[in-house]
Order: sequence, then structure tokens, then C-alpha cells
Amino acid sequence: MTTYHTHSPQETETLAATVAQHLRAGDVIAYRGTLGAGKTCFTRGLAAGLGIKSAVSSPTFALVHEYRGERLTLYHFDMYRIEGEDDLYSTGFYDYLSDPRALLAIEWSENIDFALDFPHITVEIAPGAEEDERVITIKGDGRF
Amino acid sequence: MKLLSLDASSKAASCALAEDGRLLGEYYADCGLTHSQTLLPMVRQLLDTTGTKTEEITHVAVSKGPGSFTGLRIGLAAAKSLAAGLHVPLCGVSTLLSLAYNLRGMRGTACTVLDARRGQVYYALFALKDGAVRRLCEDRAGPIGELRQELKNVEPPLFLVGDGAMLCYNSLQETTEGLALSPEHLRLQRASSVGYAALALGEWDSAGALVPSYLRLSQAERELLEKEKKEANS
Repeated sequence: MTTYHTHSPQETETLAATVAQHLRAGDVIAYRGTLGAGKTCFTRGLAAGLGIKSAVSSPTFALVHEYRGERLTLYHFDMYRIEGEDDLYSTGFYDYLSDPRALLAIEWSENIDFALDFPHITVEIAPGAEEDERVITIKGDGRF
Repeated sequence: MKLLSLDASSKAASCALAEDGRLLGEYYADCGLTHSQTLLPMVRQLLDTTGTKTEEITHVAVSKGPGSFTGLRIGLAAAKSLAAGLHVPLCGVSTLLSLAYNLRGMRGTACTVLDARRGQVYYALFALKDGAVRRLCEDRAGPIGELRQELKNVEPPLFLVGDGAMLCYNSLQETTEGLALSPEHLRLQRASSVGYAALALGEWDSAGALVPSYLRLSQAERELLEKEKKEANS
């Protein structure tokens, strides 16, 4: 487990781009953090770190956005409106899990705790003492 | 009669063409989640290779579930639009029934099983005898423990088929007599088996009538189960 302090959205993105270098196919990132914490911002940094050029936006409306990188495909989920097993099945979540090139980044992962019964990476983003400060805690295996 | 059959119910996809029950060609690809890009080009190639014009297709069959949500939607959308465009009848085949057809000609019982994750499986049982496949129970979704009970009264040998076969073999082999894994090359969905199952079923309908069979427990059933579990614990 490692904890970082960032002081601007740009710093959060840079940190995420560094984290991306340690990620591999099959990794699942579960975000913890309230509205406006910086989950989409962190994902933007992940995408940049994976060499993905397209603009990353919140997947709240579409539930999942797909970004194809050279090494990995990043699937960015928003589980805010997911209320159970059937909802989750119909997002195609389980299909993405079996994709051999997939990296999943999941906002509002609290809503699908029941399905996260396998090893995954948790990225918790909490407000710091200053306005733009964020305390980012990454838990996972030996890489973090 | 020329039957085009499709399967996109899992991470592999395939299509097959049969004429009067004889397989003319089959195309299978297991290369990740790309069915929306590969399924129709595979059909195109298959028709070209077998020298078949699209208008010669007289029937279409497709695996209708259970299986991968995305895969089923791609498979059904392709099959329905082909059948509608060609004005030919369509048959939706249970994925679990099609898997039993992988073993037709063998003798015993086929337990076809797909992994529904977290200890849950989709399963059905079929008697295999004299080259025929006879259904012993409806397609079901439930915990592996439930399947253990079902397997007590069937005729051995008992072959596990499907992507949940290994999972079930590992958890049931000690308590189930005569349990065997089907040969690896016969274990997963194939469009040709979907076709053979459709021919035996003979249940042809219009393209508009077919709906996928996801076989999920309904929210109401799930809530009832949760409630019963809570009551049992208190």
C-alpha cells in the first residue's frame, strides 16, 4: 500500500500516468472516492500513461467507455446507476473481464462490491487539507 | 435446405453451413471480444468458400443463451437481421442443448454447464443414446451444490461439457460416481452443433419472434432468496 499527496489535477494525472507503467492485462482498478474527488482525472492520467491519445470523459451516461491503447485496452466504467447482479451482467462487465487485453478502471466500485471477489487494485481518492490537495491511497499486490 | 448457424455465446464465435444435414463448412475463431467485427466477415468467407449465394440460405439458427451478454446480443442481432432480410425462418437454440450435440453418438448422460461466476452455473442434463439427444431437465441457473443433487439420479457415464466443465469436475468428482470431462476438442460451443440441434428441434419461427434467453434469476427471486437467507440466519 502506498499513499500519495497531489496538489492539482495535473499532479494527479501525472501520478496516474506513472502508475499506468506498472499495470498489465487483466488488472482491475476499483476507485473509492466521492463526487468530484478526481476519479475521471486519475483515469485520464492512466490513459495518457498507456499512450492513448483520445480525450477521456466521465462514462456516467454510457456506463462504459473503451479506449484502445497499443499495449492494453482501457475500459472505464461508472457503476453509479448499477443496483445489482442483473444490472452488472447487462453492462457486459463479465465479458470485459475475460478480454485478454483488458484493463478495467471502475468508478463507484462500492456498488459492485459483491462482484469484486478476486484480487484487484483499490485507488482511494480523498480530499486533503488544502482545496486542491488529494490524498491518494493505492492498494494491491507487491507492485503498489 | 441450406442452414446457416451462428454461435457468439462465449468468447469464441463460429458459423457453419449445412445442406440437408451434411456439414458443408465451418469457421471458428477464438481471438478475444471481437464478435461484432468478426462474425459477419466469417459468414461472408464461409459462403464464398463453399460457393454459396446468400439467397440460397433457406434457414438460420443461432444459440440464444445462456452465455455472454454482449455475445448473445451480437449473435442474435446478426441472425435476426439475416433471417429477416432473406425472409427465411429462424430457430433459437439453447446454448446448453447445442453443447449436448457436441457429444451425439456417444452413450450416457451429458451435463452441459456454463460458468455463471461466483459458484453459480447454468446447466442442463441430456440423455445420449442411439445417436439422439434427449432433454432430461430445463435449462437452469443455480449454485454448483444444486447440480450435485441433480447428478445423483442419472445414468453414467456422465460427461461434463461447456466452459464450466472443469469447475464442476473439480468440485463434484469426489462425490459423483462416473463423472468424466468431455474431450477437450468437444467441450465448447460450435456453430455446427447449434445447426444439428436446430434440425432436430425443428422449431422454426419468424426473425421477430426470437428473444435471448439470458437465464438470470429475476430480481424478485433474488430478493426472496436473500430474505430467506436472512430469516434462516436469525
